[in-house]
Amino acid sequence: MKTRTWIIIFSLACVLCVCVWLYFSAFFSPSETVGIYQDGVLVRQIDLSSVTQPEEITLSGEYGDNVILVSHGHIKMKSADCPDKLCVKHGELKSSASPIVCLPNKIVIKFEDDAPSADAVTGR
Amino acid sequence: MKLLRILSLFIAAFTMIFFTGCDLSSVYSSEFFAMDTVMTITAYGKNSENAVSAAQDRIYELDDLLSVQKEDSEIYKLNCAKSLSVSPDTLSIINRSIEISNLTDNCFDITCEPLIRTWGFYSGLKNKVPSQDEIETALKGVGTEHIKINENTVTLDKNTSLDLGAVAKGYASGEACRVLKENGVSSALISLGGNVRAVGSKPDGSDWSVAICDPDDSTKQAGTLKISDTAVVTSGGYQRYFEENGQIYHHIIDTETGYPANSGLKSVTVVSQDDTLADGLSTALFVMGLENAKKLYFDNNSLFGAVFITDDNKIYITDNLINNFSSERSFEII
Repeated sequence: MKTRTWIIIFSLACVLCVCVWLYFSAFFSPSETVGIYQDGVLVRQIDLSSVTQPEEITLSGEYGDNVILVSHGHIKMKSADCPDKLCVKHGELKSSASPIVCLPNKIVIKFEDDAPSADAVTGR
Repeated sequence: MKLLRILSLFIAAFTMIFFTGCDLSSVYSSEFFAMDTVMTITAYGKNSENAVSAAQDRIYELDDLLSVQKEDSEIYKLNCAKSLSVSPDTLSIINRSIEISNLTDNCFDITCEPLIRTWGFYSGLKNKVPSQDEIETALKGVGTEHIKINENTVTLDKNTSLDLGAVAKGYASGEACRVLKENGVSSALISLGGNVRAVGSKPDGSDWSVAICDPDDSTKQAGTLKISDTAVVTSGGYQRYFEENGQIYHHIIDTETGYPANSGLKSVTVVSQDDTLADGLSTALFVMGLENAKKLYFDNNSLFGAVFITDDNKIYITDNLINNFSSERSFEII
C-alpha cells in the first residue's frame, strides 16, 4: 500500500480512539450529580460541584417537613420532623451504595450515575 | 474508492466492537416503598417490565396482609381480635415462623410484638428504655406456645400479639422471585431494603456481586458475596437504634431477656435459597451469638451459609461460602 494510505489509516485510528475515549469518559467519570426523590418521583437533580451558595430545600410529607442542606460538593438532611430521624443521623451523602433515606416521608437522596462497585448491598 | 472501502471497514469494525460490548436484552427497574423500606427490582429480558410490575403488586398485596401497623392488615386484625380465619399467605408465613423458632431454640420469635412496642420501635412511637415491670408485662405473651392453629384459624393468647417484621421481607422476596420466574424472567436482582434476592445469574451468565455493609461505616463494605439464584439477608444492631444516657439500644430484641440482644455480634449475613429462612435466621443467629450459631450451622449446613462480624470487628464465614466470599479484611472460616 502507498504511504498516503497508511497515513489515512493511522489518522482514522487516532480519531476513532479519541472518539471512544470521549464517549466512555463522559459516561464513567465520577459524578457529583445527586437526585432527590419523593415517593419514587424525582423532585430535584443537583450537580453538587456547581453549587456556589448553600441552599436549603424543604420537602413536606405525611410526617412533617424535611430540610435538605446543599452546599458545594455536599448534601445532607439537616433536620426532619419524622420520629426516628435516621436520615439526619446518616450525615452527608458519601457513596452511591448508601443513599440518604427518610422512610416516613418517602424521601431518597442518591448519586445519579455513579456506578456502584457491587450489584447490590445487603445490611444497609 | 479505496479510501471509501477502508472507511467502511472501520465503521463496520467499530459497530461490531461497540455492540458486542453492550447487552442488547431489555432491562427494567423499579424503585418503590413497601414494608417500611425502599425496594428495588431490576429484571432483564423480554417481559421484564410486566414481570417487575406483577412482582411489585405481589409485594404490595403481602404488605397489606402482613403489616403490624396497617389497620386493614390480617396481622393487625388478628392482634386485636386474638382469633381470625386467615389467608393462605398469612397461615403459611406463621407456620414457617414457628418452624424457624423451633429450629433456633426460640431465638427467632414472631410473638415479640409487645416487646418491640414497649421499646418504641414502631413508627409513630418514641424510643425509650422500658422499666423492668413493663418488660415483664410484655414478656407474658411471648413464646410460640401462645399461638394455636386450627386449619386456617389462628388463635392467640390474650397477652400475645404477632410481628412478622423479621420474616415478612424474606417471604416477600421469595414470592417476588417466583412471580418474576412465572413471567419468564430468568435474570433479576431484588433488593427489599437490604434483603437481596438474586433470580438466576447476571444476563452474561456471571454471578451477582452483593456487598456486605460495614457495620461501622455504611459507606464501606466489609466484604463481597458472589451469588446466583439465592437470597442474602443481613441483620445488625447498627441498622436501627437509639441512644439514652450514653447507652445505645438497638432494635433486635432477645425475647428471653426482653432487652436488645447482646451476643457479641455486630451483624450476621445469611445466604440461603429459602428467602424466608434466610430472613428469620439472620435475626436468630444475631440473637444466639457466634458459638451457638456455629452449632446450628454444623447440624444444618445444607440449609444456609453465613458471614458474622463480631463486636471486636473479626469476620467469620461458614465453610460453604469459601468460594463465594471475598474481603480486603482478614477472615476466619468455621
